[in-house]
Order: sequence, then structure tokens, then C-alpha cells
Amino acid sequence: MLITVYRTSKFAFQNVWRNLWLSIITIFILTLTLLTTSLVATLNIVADQAVQAVEEKINIDIYFKPEVDEQDVITAQVWLQSIPEVKSVRYVSRDEALEKFKASHANNPNIAAALAELTDNPLPASLVIQAYALQDYAVITQQFEASQYDTLVQDKNFSDHQLVIERLSSIIRRLYQGALVVSLIFIIISVIMMFNTVRVAIYAHREELGIMKLVGATNWFVRAPFILEGLVYALVSSSIAMVLLWITMAAATPYVNNFFTGYNFSLSLFFQEHFWYIFAFQVVVSIVLAVGSSMLSIGRYLRV
Amino acid sequence: MIRFDKVTKIYSDNTYAARDLSLHIRPAEFVSIVGQSGTGKTTLAKMVIAEERPSKGRVIIGSWDITAVRSADIPVLRRQVGMVFQDFKLLPKKTVYENVAFALEVCGVNQGHINRIVPQVLKVVGLNEKRDKFPHQLSGGQRQRVAIGRALVHRPKVLVADEPTGNLDTINAQEIIELLLKINTLGTTIMLVTHNKDIVNRLRKRVISIDDGTIVSDQQSGKYII
Ligand SMILES: Nc1ncnc2c1ncn2[C@@H]1O[C@H](COP(=O)(O)OP(=O)(O)O)[C@@H](O)[C@H]1O
Ligand SMILES: [Mg+2]
Repeated sequence: MLITVYRTSKFAFQNVWRNLWLSIITIFILTLTLLTTSLVATLNIVADQAVQAVEEKINIDIYFKPEVDEQDVITAQVWLQSIPEVKSVRYVSRDEALEKFKASHANNPNIAAALAELTDNPLPASLVIQAYALQDYAVITQQFEASQYDTLVQDKNFSDHQLVIERLSSIIRRLYQGALVVSLIFIIISVIMMFNTVRVAIYAHREELGIMKLVGATNWFVRAPFILEGLVYALVSSSIAMVLLWITMAAATPYVNNFFTGYNFSLSLFFQEHFWYIFAFQVVVSIVLAVGSSMLSIGRYLRV
Repeated sequence: MIRFDKVTKIYSDNTYAARDLSLHIRPAEFVSIVGQSGTGKTTLAKMVIAEERPSKGRVIIGSWDITAVRSADIPVLRRQVGMVFQDFKLLPKKTVYENVAFALEVCGVNQGHINRIVPQVLKVVGLNEKRDKFPHQLSGGQRQRVAIGRALVHRPKVLVADEPTGNLDTINAQEIIELLLKINTLGTTIMLVTHNKDIVNRLRKRVISIDDGTIVSDQQSGKYII
């Protein structure tokens, strides 16, 4: 058994080695295929996570007129919480708002000075509403505007985040679609490539293979080197793809993170946490591709 | 040992290579199959090793009906039926020893066994001192002996030789026939396909003559008649 594995592997590595250029091109194509399919898979996950991260930041702020009583604001809060679409309502008092404002502008001496001159707190009390789903915000706003509490309100804001989400989703969707098309093209190319590489290997060994069959080598012994050859391509190219992906991630991380500043999302962290998943994904994809097309070629050109 | 039962072979382009042909070769027999070229001799030989399947009828080797043998079982058959050809089919980049050992390696035989069997076989075919030569350093007769040696490594019950002397001069041809006779006396059934008149006439063994896919004569101590 062991000796068979050894002899088969030797034969397989010889195939890779003897047609070195063809092997290099095959590995190159397979690597590109893996990179694009990983991109598709990653975009799929990243899209969800990114949208989720932005969604967490979405809320409606309702600012009450300064003369409104704290008690009325709390009544409004209780009423809002009874709406089923509402996930949470947080009350931000005028004092709390001022503290926050001071804290976020602490290193701006002009603002600090201006604030120190004020005797009265100019900031309104507010309610921060979070909905369960993005589309619920419209419903909540409508209900609120129809209610008695609307007259107490000085200002509301909502729409700006929706734009971010729409832009983000559309960018990611377009990237995803592009990557999907490119990766499908690469998958087709690499199947044809592998198919052909194994065909060349079979052709180069036709004499040997004919004799092997003549003297009673089992069908698996005849096929195994070519399947193994596919396996070698799969492992080599997924390792290369992983290294390239690592480099690309490292280079892209600052830009992506910049885009998501303030949001709960980090590309490099994502890559680190999912390293083995991605690697396993690539190994599986490349084995299916390489060994699969190699088997196709064997079935077509290696009559046993 | 080899039985053809009403075998008809029609190739895809509608050529008949065998027509309702029946024959029986007994164990340890030495049989020559003769006939003009294109009469279907090679096709018969190929059916013995299941490289071609009969279109009608049955082929039985030993007690094994190989008419519809599964492809997974063909390797088992090929270890019981050795075959040599006119063009030797040796690997040019392997030495005599390696060519013979190759047949064992690809069947998963362990190295110790290979080291024991190959020298034995090389002794039988008389090539022990040529073991490290490459095929191009050998005469045609010697190359055919390597091929016969390779066919013997699995100790087959049957050896099929399709025009083994076709590329050889008279002296070399005679040596090969003598080697086949020697292997036959060791108990292996021999099916020799040839159209060499001298050889057949000198052998004084059973001769089956074929013409256009049918047996036209089958003589116990025969002569080449066509
Ligand atoms: N693979 C094939 N496909 C079609 N016809 C074939 C094939 N092999 C042999 N033939 C035909 O079958 C006939 C018998 O061929 P063959 O068995 O090689 O005869 P022989 O060995 O006696 O010269 C010939 O007419 C030959 O052309
Ligand atoms: Mg012939």
C-alpha cells in the first residue's frame, strides 16, 4: 500500500515537473480563480457585516422644545416603547446632552470658551429611537407625527444614515456581481486548463500507460497519478492564493477601515478570525476544481 | 484453457474480423494461429486479453467467462494472460531490468518480491548479463526476450504472442520460438500468431488456419497451408 502511494506520487510529481511551464500556468490560473472566488465569498459575508455595522448606528433623534417638561418627554418615551416596531428608546436629558457635547469637543478651545460663557444650557432633551428593521423607521416616524407628542418637538433627524446604507449596499452589490462574473469566468478557464494539462500528461505517458494496462496495473493505479497531480495543483495554488490574499488584505485594511471609521467593523480582524475558514474554503474549491476536471480528462482520454 | 464459442466480431465500421468462430485450446498446449494479414488473427489475440469484446458469442479463459468482463476485473485477467507483440512495446528510457520490474511495480508488488522475481525471469529469457542495458543497445531478438520476460513476471497461465518474430531475422526468430517452446514445457499455454511459414512447418505443433474471420483448418501436427 505504502509503496503504491510512493510510486504513484513519484509519477505525479514527475508529471508536474516535466511540463513545468504548463504546470506554472495551470497553478497561476487556479490561483486567480481562487482569489476571485474568495473575493465573492468574502464580499458576501463582509456585505452583511458592514450593513449590520451601519444599521446599528441608525436611529431617530427626536429633539424636544426647551420648555417641554421632563415628565412629558418620559410619557412620550413610554408611548413610543409601546409601538411594536420599536426596539429601544433612550432618554437623553439636557444635562446629559451637554456633558456629551463638552466631552466630544474637549480639545477645541474655542468651543470650550464659548460654552463657559453660557449660563443656560442651550441643548434640548431628546429621545433616541432604534427600530428592529431599517424599513420600520418610516412607520415609526409616521405614527409619531400623527400623535399628540409631535407638537412638543423642535426637530427630528433621520434621513442621512439611510443614504449611507443605500450607497454602501449598492457599492457592495456591484462589487459582488462583478466578482461573481469574473470568478465564474476564471472557474471555466481553470477547468479547461486543468482538463488540458492532464490531457497533455496522459498523452506524454501514453506508451507507459498502455504498458501498465497491458501488464495488469489496476485502474486506480493508472488513474491515481493524474488525480494526485490535480491535488498537487490544488494545494500549491491555494497556498499561493492565501499568501496573496494576506498581502492584499494588509494593503487594503487602512482604506477599508477608514471607510468604516466609527463603525464596529475591521477588515484585518475579519481576515484573521476567518483565516482557517478561508483557507479551507480555498482548498475545497481548488480540490473540487482541479481533481474534478482531472477526472473528466481521465474519463475522456484514459481508456482503462 | 482458451475457448471461443461461436464468436463474431464486427468493428464499428462494419468490418468482420471473426465470423461465428469456435476453438478450444487446452492447458499447456502450443498452438499456432496462421493466416494472411487482415484475416482477424490479432483481433482473436486481443479478445483473449479483453482488449476487444466479441460482438456475439463467448470467450472463456480457464473457467472464467470474460465475454462481458468488468473493467475493474481486466487487471486480474491480464496478470493471468501475458502478451507480447511484434513491436516489443518496451520503455526506451528504462533498462532491461527496469522494464521487467515495471510490470510488477505498477501492480503494487513489494520491492523484496520484485528483487527476487526479476533475476529469475531474466535467467529464463537468457538476459541476465544484459540487465543494465537499454532497449536501443539490444538486438531485436534480445528486445523481444525482454518483452517475453515482462509478460512472464506474473507467472501467467497463458502467453499470447502476436507475430513476435515479425521484426526479426531468421536466426533471431528461431531463438524466440525456442524460448516460447521452453516456456511451454514449463507449463504455460502458448498461443502463437504468425504468418512465418518456416517456423510453423518446423514446429510440428497444432496449427489453426484462419481466413476472413473463419477457421479453415485445424491440424494437430500441422503445416502452413495458406
Ligand atoms: N480497431 C479496428 N477498427 C476497425 N477495423 C479493424 C480494427 N482492427 C482491425 N480491424 C479490421 O479487422 C480485420 C482483421 O484485422 P486483424 O485482426 O488485425 O487481422 P490480422 O491480425 O490477421 O492481420 C481487418 O480487416 C482490419 O482492417
Ligand atoms: Mg495482426
